[in-house]
Amino acid sequence: MSFTESIKKDFTTTVMVLMAVAIVINIAAGQLVSILKLPIFLDSIGTVLVGIMAGPWAGGLTGLLTNLIWGMISSPVAAAFSPVAMAIGITAGLCAKYGLFRTWWLAILSGVIITFFNAVVAVPIKLYLFGGITGSGADFITSYMLAVGKGLFGSVVISVFTSNLIDKVVTAVLSWGIVKALPERTAARLPRVNGISLKN
Amino acid sequence: MQPHKSHPTLFIEKDSWLHRSHPFNKLCYILVIGVSVYVLPEKWLTDIVLLLINLGVLLTAGIFKPSLNFLWKTMLPLALFMIPIHGTLYPENHMVLISLPWFNIYHEGLLFALNTLLQLSIVLIASLIFVFTTHPADLISTISQTAGSPTLAYLIGSPLLLLPAMRERIVAIQSAQRSRGLDTQGNFLKRCYGLLPLLIPLILGSLIEIEQRTVALELRGFKSANPKTSVRKVPDSKFQKRVRQLMLTLTICIIGYRVLG
Repeated sequence: MSFTESIKKDFTTTVMVLMAVAIVINIAAGQLVSILKLPIFLDSIGTVLVGIMAGPWAGGLTGLLTNLIWGMISSPVAAAFSPVAMAIGITAGLCAKYGLFRTWWLAILSGVIITFFNAVVAVPIKLYLFGGITGSGADFITSYMLAVGKGLFGSVVISVFTSNLIDKVVTAVLSWGIVKALPERTAARLPRVNGISLKN
Repeated sequence: MQPHKSHPTLFIEKDSWLHRSHPFNKLCYILVIGVSVYVLPEKWLTDIVLLLINLGVLLTAGIFKPSLNFLWKTMLPLALFMIPIHGTLYPENHMVLISLPWFNIYHEGLLFALNTLLQLSIVLIASLIFVFTTHPADLISTISQTAGSPTLAYLIGSPLLLLPAMRERIVAIQSAQRSRGLDTQGNFLKRCYGLLPLLIPLILGSLIEIEQRTVALELRGFKSANPKTSVRKVPDSKFQKRVRQLMLTLTICIIGYRVLG
């Protein structure tokens, strides 16, 4: 099967609806969690879920569109970070493809890998568009790092990585749990899920 | 100055030349402005010129006040963080501007912060021009027809329509869990425990609905290749198309100039 054919095969109507629902889950979960004031965002849980259940390209597109839509409903600044969300989706999909979402401890590993690629894409955007500061709690980490003498680049890398690590690991483990908890009927329409739903 | 109809996006209901422009033109405008801001040399001069162009566009379209409002609300927190942090801690700081008891404020850091804020403002205004004057239904129609991608149109339109329903569902789940004794106000640990009972019903419930929605879409012939008629028509004149092509060519020229020059 050629490359474009395999992409087309992944984009069934079910996957399309899954992506639309996941975009809404991203936005709704993000808003819900921010009310609870915990040090996580969970605004990429839908993206990771799509990555697991429908592959890297669907996951990447979900992330991209989530931030673009967020930019239209709330603030265009979020749209600047759409490549980051796309990277999360693609990474999650690739991790799932290589079996890294089979158990909960593998899911933790996937979370770390996702954090890494999140940083790879987020750091240049943060650095060149925002000069390293985006008005969030992570800026305190950035300024501390700057004060102890790490360059701007190093400070931003450290702050992006540390502020995202817990969130992405929690997101990955939650996604693993949700996919396992899906009823058989829903899982049947999504061929990629079966690689993970094999209990024991 | 409240809009009498609330839209899911930041769209402001008005009638101006911008509102009548094709959505893709406004998107191309964001592209041209974004590329110009970050690629053209002569930082301060280009920035000021582009800012004035943007403000002019805002004025003629009658969205000056809401745009400046939004700009202020977004940029102020950023400025409050950037100016102190870069002013004092920017790595290439040399020239002291103000000397205070515990720390100094440097010239280079301040300039860097101000320039970053200026560039962000310019791109933000260009985005606001798009978001404030484009009705979401128009955007979705153009993606579906002109760009010929009903899938992409669905992926943008469906979330916009689903969001209010999702919000109601969140409120329902919160009330249901609270009536079962869930504490969302307590200490850190309580809040952590409170997260899952709110999130899991939300996500699982939405995912289970997918099958129903898929069947509904397939019943309505969504994936069929036959051309569909649309209620909403977005006017697109030859002039608009020319402007679009001009903006795209300009973008390529600017990038080329930087790469070669």
